[in-house]
Amino acid sequence: MSMKMKTGNKPRQHGKMPILIGTAFVIPALALFSVFILYPLTTALSYSFFSWKGTLRGEFIGLENYVTVFTRAPFDEALPNAFSHNLLLFAGAMVFQNSIGLALAVVLHKIGRVKRLFQTMFTLPYLVSPLVVGYLWSLMLSPLFGPVNATLKKIGLGEFALPWLGDPTTAIWAIVFITAWQWIGFPMLLYGAALGGIPEEVTEAAEIDGASGSKRFRLITFPLLLPALGTVSILTFIGAMESFPIPYAVGGSTGAPAGATDVMALLFYRTAFESGDVGSIGTSSALAMLLFLFIFGVAVVLRTSLARAERKLYDE
Amino acid sequence: MRKALSALGLIGVAALVLTGCAPAADEPAEEATTSASATAEPVDPVTLTMWSWRTEDVEKYNTIFDVYEAANPGVTVEFEAFLNTEYNQLLATGLEGSDGPDLAMVRAYGGVQALIEAGQLLPIDGLVDTGSVEQSLLAAATGRTDGNLYGVPFATQTLQMFYNKGIFDELGVTEPTTWDEFIALNEAIAAGGYTPMALGAKDSWMLPIFHEIVGAARYGGPEFRDELLAGTSDFTDADYVASIQIVDDMTEYMVDDVIGVAYADSQIQFTAGTAAQFPGGSFELGNFTTQAPDMELGVYLVPTPPNAVSSKPLAAGWADGSFAINTKSENQEAALNLLNWLASEEFGQLFVDEVKQFSAIKGLTYSDPVMKEMNELFASGPTAYINLVDMRYGDPTGSTLIGEGIQSMFLGDMSASGVADKLQEGISTWFTPGA
Repeated sequence: MSMKMKTGNKPRQHGKMPILIGTAFVIPALALFSVFILYPLTTALSYSFFSWKGTLRGEFIGLENYVTVFTRAPFDEALPNAFSHNLLLFAGAMVFQNSIGLALAVVLHKIGRVKRLFQTMFTLPYLVSPLVVGYLWSLMLSPLFGPVNATLKKIGLGEFALPWLGDPTTAIWAIVFITAWQWIGFPMLLYGAALGGIPEEVTEAAEIDGASGSKRFRLITFPLLLPALGTVSILTFIGAMESFPIPYAVGGSTGAPAGATDVMALLFYRTAFESGDVGSIGTSSALAMLLFLFIFGVAVVLRTSLARAERKLYDE
Repeated sequence: MRKALSALGLIGVAALVLTGCAPAADEPAEEATTSASATAEPVDPVTLTMWSWRTEDVEKYNTIFDVYEAANPGVTVEFEAFLNTEYNQLLATGLEGSDGPDLAMVRAYGGVQALIEAGQLLPIDGLVDTGSVEQSLLAAATGRTDGNLYGVPFATQTLQMFYNKGIFDELGVTEPTTWDEFIALNEAIAAGGYTPMALGAKDSWMLPIFHEIVGAARYGGPEFRDELLAGTSDFTDADYVASIQIVDDMTEYMVDDVIGVAYADSQIQFTAGTAAQFPGGSFELGNFTTQAPDMELGVYLVPTPPNAVSSKPLAAGWADGSFAINTKSENQEAALNLLNWLASEEFGQLFVDEVKQFSAIKGLTYSDPVMKEMNELFASGPTAYINLVDMRYGDPTGSTLIGEGIQSMFLGDMSASGVADKLQEGISTWFTPGA
């Protein structure tokens, strides 16, 4: 870069901008960010260090709220339980939602002609509010009136007509499925765009050199998809950690049955707004901060390691 | 400080908004308080604002307050209702700031303590005559730490068994008076091709309600409650465990996989006429009469089971909420006058006739025959819904613990004594008997 600058005929003056004008352009976004994200974030952080009586702030108690959410009932059991479900939602989304999304993107990329139609169809569900999607699916899966079990019984698969949302072993997977059903279009679009961005000459050249289809995917398509894969993974991670509307619609605020669909956001919601404890602002703020720090930390680590992996791939 | 709750809601929302994957359109926590017209008025004509979560009853309350306004010239009562699910946050924020209401409906028991502890409600001992109010319900508006009264309870709920008279007539069965008759009745209904009882076991809050309906007499109702609060007994008591066991035994008379049935589904089971009975609260009445206007409803109390501690069937009840005054109200005198009226028989009767709920005021007449009977049933064997009335002053609440425990029991993962142990262990983190 610096070499080019020196040898270039004209210095690239047009790329520079007086610092004042630059700041002026940043201010609106910065103001919105400060008011709607930074301010609530820092207040929640400060709330988590105090004792509370309703909305009346008590004394500074340091990390006591944090100790509480790790040691005191119901948090000592609910927190690991809810957290493990968030991780499961992430793993489930990575395995099903994103791999099927990738497969769909590849297929649609190949067929070309009706691509738009299918893209629209697969993307439609995520235009619907996830709460509505959750309620619709809980109706569909109802053991009494749900069309899913009715159909299973009609076609002779009655033994598979389970109480999907009532059995802890199936309920959390039902949420993985419903989430995937809604979001499948999202990885598909991102992967589709990335696929469209791969120059055809590269693939053609490899084909002429005699590379098989699977080899072409492994050595050309996949590495070039890596940036998209990284983006999808990080967004999936954040989405799974903050999952709220679908679990809320399917299992209610307690994560029915018996906490089998409890997730961190539900635990936060219960603690903040449904608890009989007068100090709930402190404990719920502590929960929110922990969740934020975890998501933020992992997202940063993921982003850095992906960037490193990408550099490594392209350098070779 | 006034932003305390809205900021707290925002952090939850911000967490959701930040992601590209999970839009936060439906997080029920957000939204700022706005409309409360606390304009400076001349001393004589007074406008009192009252906040409520009963969006469905706005017209009815306006009719009721018309009566008060006619009798008290110069006083205008503005009744404003907000979405039930957002009300707690809105009210806490409103009371914190300067644009809050003069009076407000507040939640009962544990649900009002945060407002009391924050000093946002006016203590009304000696200022309001609560002589007409059912005395046992005043606990709903009493501060747990200071014992002062902060509100006038307005509505009560009772628990009982609803049944479809049409199905009973068709099968030639009648209300049971003994436990054996109750079992025989369920057998007969099942043999007749109907589901004996509709229960939404997927929604855990419904399960402690069912437990009270079939089990209160078994564990002993008021006597057990006294011992529990005094610390001479606890939830691991053999009679209490036996009452939880009854809940498990009753699943025989429900649909298979009842654990997958949502509360709303169970209501449909009953109103669509596939289930003959619905164990539920008086709050179901409105839904049943709108969804199945032609159904003839009956109510009874489940008879005492074998070895029951109580000698008579029991109806568990509780206060649903209270009217209270904002400490920051500039019209406290006028608000106190109104609150006195809200504690009167005149208001109670209007409330019963217009809002069609059970009032906390004694000695009223119910024109609706089903309501009249429910009221009589409650009077014949009143007891407290312990897990709501006494066990919601901390986290975890009693009703959550027993609800989730019963779900585990239905799934075969926990015994009745396991449920009782879990309940006792959970509430012990904050509940001290005798305190």
